[in-house]
Amino acid sequence: MKKTTEKRIFIFVCTTPALLLLTLFMIVPTIEVFRMSLYKWGGFSNNQVFVGLNNFKILWNDMNFIRSLQNSILLIVVVTLITIVLAILFSTLLTRENVKGGNFFRVIFYIPNILSIVVIAGIFSAIYDPTSGLLNNFLSVFNIESLQKMWLGDQKIAIYSISGALVWQAVGYYMVMYMSSMANIPESFYEASSLEGAGRITQFFSITLPLIWNNIRTTLTFFIVSTINLSFLLVQAMTGGGPDGSTEVFLSYMYKQAYTNSSYGYGMAIGVVIFLFSFALSAIINQITKREVLEY
Amino acid sequence: MKKKALLAGTIALLSIVLMACQDKDNAEVSSNGGETTKVKQTLHVAALESAYGKDMWSKIIDEYQTENPDVKVELTADKNLEDVISPNMKAGNYPDVILLATGRKLALTENLIKDKALEDITDVLDKNVYGEDVTIKDKLIPGFTDTLATNPFNDGKTYLAPMFYSPTGLFYNANLLKEKGWEVPTTWDEMWALGDKAKADGISLFTYPTTGYFDAFVYSLLLEVGGPDFYNKAMSYEDGIWETPEATKMFEIIGKLGKYTEPTTVANANDKDFKKNQQLILDNKALFMPNGTWIVGEMADAPRADGFEWGMTALPAIETGGDRYAFTFFEQIWVPSAAKNKDAAKDFLTFVYSDKASSIFAEAGAVQPIKGNSEKLTGDNKLFYSIYDNGAKAGMGGFAATDAVEGVSIADTLFRSIDSIVSGDKTVKEWQKNVEKVSDQLRPALK
Amino acid sequence: MKKQKKMSVEKLYRLFIYVALLTLAITIIIPVAWVFIASIKEKSEFYTSPWDMPKGFYFQNFIDAFEKANMGTYMLNSIMVTALAILILLVVALPAAYVLARYTFKGSKILNTLFKAGLFINVNYIVVPIFLMLLDADMVIRGRFGDGFLLDNLFVLALVYASTALPFTIYLLSSYFQTLPSTYEEAAWVDGAGYFKTMYKIMIPMARPSIVAVILFNFLSFWNEYIIALTLIPGPNKTLPVGLMNLMAAQKSATNYGQMYAGMVLVMLPTLILYILVQKKLTQGMALGGSKE
Repeated sequence: MKKTTEKRIFIFVCTTPALLLLTLFMIVPTIEVFRMSLYKWGGFSNNQVFVGLNNFKILWNDMNFIRSLQNSILLIVVVTLITIVLAILFSTLLTRENVKGGNFFRVIFYIPNILSIVVIAGIFSAIYDPTSGLLNNFLSVFNIESLQKMWLGDQKIAIYSISGALVWQAVGYYMVMYMSSMANIPESFYEASSLEGAGRITQFFSITLPLIWNNIRTTLTFFIVSTINLSFLLVQAMTGGGPDGSTEVFLSYMYKQAYTNSSYGYGMAIGVVIFLFSFALSAIINQITKREVLEY
Repeated sequence: MKKKALLAGTIALLSIVLMACQDKDNAEVSSNGGETTKVKQTLHVAALESAYGKDMWSKIIDEYQTENPDVKVELTADKNLEDVISPNMKAGNYPDVILLATGRKLALTENLIKDKALEDITDVLDKNVYGEDVTIKDKLIPGFTDTLATNPFNDGKTYLAPMFYSPTGLFYNANLLKEKGWEVPTTWDEMWALGDKAKADGISLFTYPTTGYFDAFVYSLLLEVGGPDFYNKAMSYEDGIWETPEATKMFEIIGKLGKYTEPTTVANANDKDFKKNQQLILDNKALFMPNGTWIVGEMADAPRADGFEWGMTALPAIETGGDRYAFTFFEQIWVPSAAKNKDAAKDFLTFVYSDKASSIFAEAGAVQPIKGNSEKLTGDNKLFYSIYDNGAKAGMGGFAATDAVEGVSIADTLFRSIDSIVSGDKTVKEWQKNVEKVSDQLRPALK
Repeated sequence: MKKQKKMSVEKLYRLFIYVALLTLAITIIIPVAWVFIASIKEKSEFYTSPWDMPKGFYFQNFIDAFEKANMGTYMLNSIMVTALAILILLVVALPAAYVLARYTFKGSKILNTLFKAGLFINVNYIVVPIFLMLLDADMVIRGRFGDGFLLDNLFVLALVYASTALPFTIYLLSSYFQTLPSTYEEAAWVDGAGYFKTMYKIMIPMARPSIVAVILFNFLSFWNEYIIALTLIPGPNKTLPVGLMNLMAAQKSATNYGQMYAGMVLVMLPTLILYILVQKKLTQGMALGGSKE
């Protein structure tokens, strides 16, 4: 009896501060976002008008919003796919193959992840510049000027240029993550399958991939959240959503509406949609990727 | 061992932070206490630190304080003024006088206009200039207080006073044209002819820093195609105005100009890289760009072609003998309704137009629309400000104020789309249709 | 014959491995190194090919960035906020993560879900409500005491950092706690240790690898963060990334790329040095977060 009281006190003391901070600085503000999405408010005056779901109705017909939605989805898909493929490829190479200087590569690959997004934006502006940029000058050194592009100027390419920076930033992080989970796979599995004559590719698909599957699933959620987040920070610092809205993403459009178009409530409605969208997408992906968990 | 050191470090830091916080609180309490004991009135002036620099404001404040020993002026001057003052404004701490123009990216001034949060200063214009026997109205160049930029609700009441003005137009390398023996085009037909000639020499006719610079350009062009009456109708979103033959002409000219635009322009037409576009003029890679007089100071440190010499011209006329316009921007100074010291603020407004103040501003290159001011200028500035002496007409004032309409922005639709026109991602027809649609959406929201 | 073919395939494969690894390494090293090189270039050198080496060591860029842009003060601010935020985070998150990982009690499921849900809350769109909330509180405080102190306060900034990092940190720590065998706790209880003592003396020290990981990750994210700092600190007490943004904005009207790159180096350098020193721990730490759910 005494033990259970003590236990209760212990649990209470340990969880309350965390719960308080979480409530105060994350849950309440999130509820505020939801609440303000039902109002029309300029942001400065005290003149808040309740408009119900009107902001969401407007969203539905706002082509600029639809475009930022498309851009965001495109980024999530492209960045996730490319990053996962590259990260798995390189983590397999570094764990399974006896590579000279493996540690060196691991250290280098992780560097972009520790840089501030402000710095990354600066770096990629220097890379993508049409005349004095590293990329176009590099191409001209090898005499393949035909590949030179207006990386941030061509509306068909700009969003992919942004995704290039995001992939660059993310590959090392996920690679290290997959490496650590691959390192836990017992070597005996591979030895056994080697004796059965399985090649690298077979081994990869029958051992490595199934055993790190759960890890990959977890990272998919990270991908959704971090792509929405980082694409905004990067776009703000690099293109401001231009040219003509072709790199506008969810959050940059939300900021634009809330601040420069003095439609704070409308901005929050966009926030709500982003929140629900990322939640739903994660849930769906979680469902689709469900496999029987293989234990080792 | 390492861990302990880390812990000790964090604790040391923690105590520093706590001390710092305490210091700050103490300081604030004492300063509050100080204010109540003194009779001094505090006037809070906030000014955007633009290309003219911050010093001129310090000088103005010093001068004003010498004249008014019982007024203590606090100055906030910052390049990102909005970032500094708007959090404080949300917190209820409004500056008493703010110099911040409309047309800024964060649109703080517009937001306050939309909220009707500016003080009516019509009466200030009829007051005498500080220490002088002439009213402000009589001292200003006529026309500057009759525009939507000063009277945003078009009701004859002035809410924003005109400060530093700056003619805009097409900027070019005068020396390059001289060397090549090319004339500065006076009509658009001459412009296209010059474009083809320049192309043969590997020079593009046109570039622009960002699409934001098209505001003055489009306004001038609207005035050229339709005259002032048409212009005001367009600025107040009259139904169908963007589908008239005049407007169509305007859209088509810009569409054609897009074909003569330097190819890397769009890629650099953002707030981070726009200087690379301006550099194209200095490097003789493009002939003309829309810009304002601040360009000279802004690019002062940049390398340039031998013999480079700034030139500025009004927009070419639609036809020979037609009107040519050069739009003029001016920064506005205004008093927020929520200011605590409105009378002191209005007093300060009369001071900024005094001879003393205007010569301090002029030293820094900031020119107020005061009669006779342009004659005192020297160098490039004399050339720029005398543009109106050479037959060009001055355009002024932008779009009428509206309530915020969710997801709708005339600036985005009218100017930002030009990137797509140049790159070919949108047709001129689509652009025109979108502008009319947005105009339709904004009309009911007019104040 | 067959064997030979296999051999050459093997060789080709080895070649492919190194080409792939080197390509990725180069795309990372070159841009980063380029920023360092650009930071010592003189103004005129920015108008030639970007691949040209600098003519000399133009250190003035750094002096300008440091003196004109106040980067020294900003750096000190960043150090304070980061250290404080990590301290708060550990004090709050460790007990919570431990309890959530090792105990089932009434509401434990809800709590777990709540913290997991927190992973989905994107800091970028709750910044403004947080700001407005602090502002309202400041108004109330001002009414009572004459002056508000929640905004422009580095301690509050640190608290917000710590709070927004809670979901991920608790997730990471509790995943680690889950892997620890329960025999240690049982042994401690048999010895008569209470719950608190068990946690504090036995379990938390055992979680050291994950704690190190938490410190490292959060150091990087707090150090590099700029949206929250920009919003909650309107005054001059800025943090380093916000300072860099300012520096970049200032360069827009001065055409001085050298200073801008010098500023970038100032922001990058501390994280790079720290990373080189502890990279092993950092990447090891990731094993804790990702793999074991």
